Amino acid sequence: MGEAASIRLTVSDFIALTNQTLEYAYPSIEVEGEVASFKVNQGKFVFFDLKDATGSVGCFMTLWQLRTPIEDGMKIVVTASPKLTAWGKFSLTVRVLRPSGEGSLKKSFELLRAKLEKEGLFAEERKRSLPMLPRHVAVISSTQAAGYADFIKIVNDRWGGVQIDVAHVQVQGADAPDQMIRALRYFNSQENLPDVIVIVRGGGSADDLSAFNDELLVREIATSRVPTLVGVGHEVDVSLADMAADVRAATPSNAAQLLVPDRQEYIRAVRRQVHTLLPRMEVTIERYRRDTVVRLETMFEKLSRRLDEQREKVAMLRRVLLELDPNKVLARGYALTRGEIVVGNMIEIEKKDILIKAEVRNVSKK
Amino acid sequence: MSVKNNLSIAEKTTQLDTLVAWFDSDEFELEKALDMFTKAEKLAAEIEQDLATMKNSIEIVKVRFSESE
Repeated sequence: MGEAASIRLTVSDFIALTNQTLEYAYPSIEVEGEVASFKVNQGKFVFFDLKDATGSVGCFMTLWQLRTPIEDGMKIVVTASPKLTAWGKFSLTVRVLRPSGEGSLKKSFELLRAKLEKEGLFAEERKRSLPMLPRHVAVISSTQAAGYADFIKIVNDRWGGVQIDVAHVQVQGADAPDQMIRALRYFNSQENLPDVIVIVRGGGSADDLSAFNDELLVREIATSRVPTLVGVGHEVDVSLADMAADVRAATPSNAAQLLVPDRQEYIRAVRRQVHTLLPRMEVTIERYRRDTVVRLETMFEKLSRRLDEQREKVAMLRRVLLELDPNKVLARGYALTRGEIVVGNMIEIEKKDILIKAEVRNVSKK
Repeated sequence: MSVKNNLSIAEKTTQLDTLVAWFDSDEFELEKALDMFTKAEKLAAEIEQDLATMKNSIEIVKVRFSESE
């Protein structure tokens, strides 16, 4: 038996054949390991090793594909294709990576939070308020998710007359951030812009919710033309998407509460507003009545004062008149003479008690 | 101020706020108060009626966001 004929190839052909075989055998694989020797070259290319207790494999990706910050020591899962380079070096070409395990998720979250915080993406002064009564709302969620159903039910219970456009997207998994980004861009490019864009998703594990910590998604939320409201997970869950949103809701139900008022409360408030008008009118009428009474009293006072003045004046005149009474003068011993004072004329002299007829005998100057 | 139909709840609420504010303003006249109160009452009733009957319209956007453009 002879030895099987071996294939003779050029180096380049061998590399091409190996890559073809690898591509056929592993079109896409997920590999989990710990990051080591992480570095970014020329601001574009990312290199790191993925290792476990006994092995290590080199990884390569472009910086724009790196949507989650990583550093040495973090446990991650990469979605990659194995490849033999032209220099004979075996490596994984990574398309997507995500932190694996609670510690790494937390670490990645903190790294990105610090980076975006430094850029001011979460700054309070960037936050816009939502309209009090939105008429057109865009919702980004999975229509099959319980969180979406809760949100819609509560919005319908609380308010009406709102046009709600829903973008059905994945809210977990590797494709979720890109789908949500496309939906955000779709709503932000509409001629008839919605008043608010709401992103909701119910509770889940840290890994399930990790899509909401994707850097590009967080940036898209922060730069949305339309104000955003994000309600993801339970009350204790905090995502970077929440932090970048204009308004953060603790849960999808809470997002519905923040989005629209409760119609029963609204009706009560409207009724209260109108009911306060009657007492207000009564108060005003009472004020008018009191003002009128005060004016009348003032008028009576003035009239009374004038009357007193007139009475006083009349009394004074009367006193003067009394002083001028001729009887009073006669009583003081004076006499009143009537008739022309010409020598030989008869005149009448009146005293207090008597009348005297007398003849003028002599008239001389004093 | 006339109360028009076919206004949104927000617009009707703004009108109601204006009517209510009139009662505290310098423009207040006792002779006009009853008329203004009647208008406010009618507006409040309309808002209540609207809120009781209005439904939301929900439409799923016919775009596949799973595919990049």
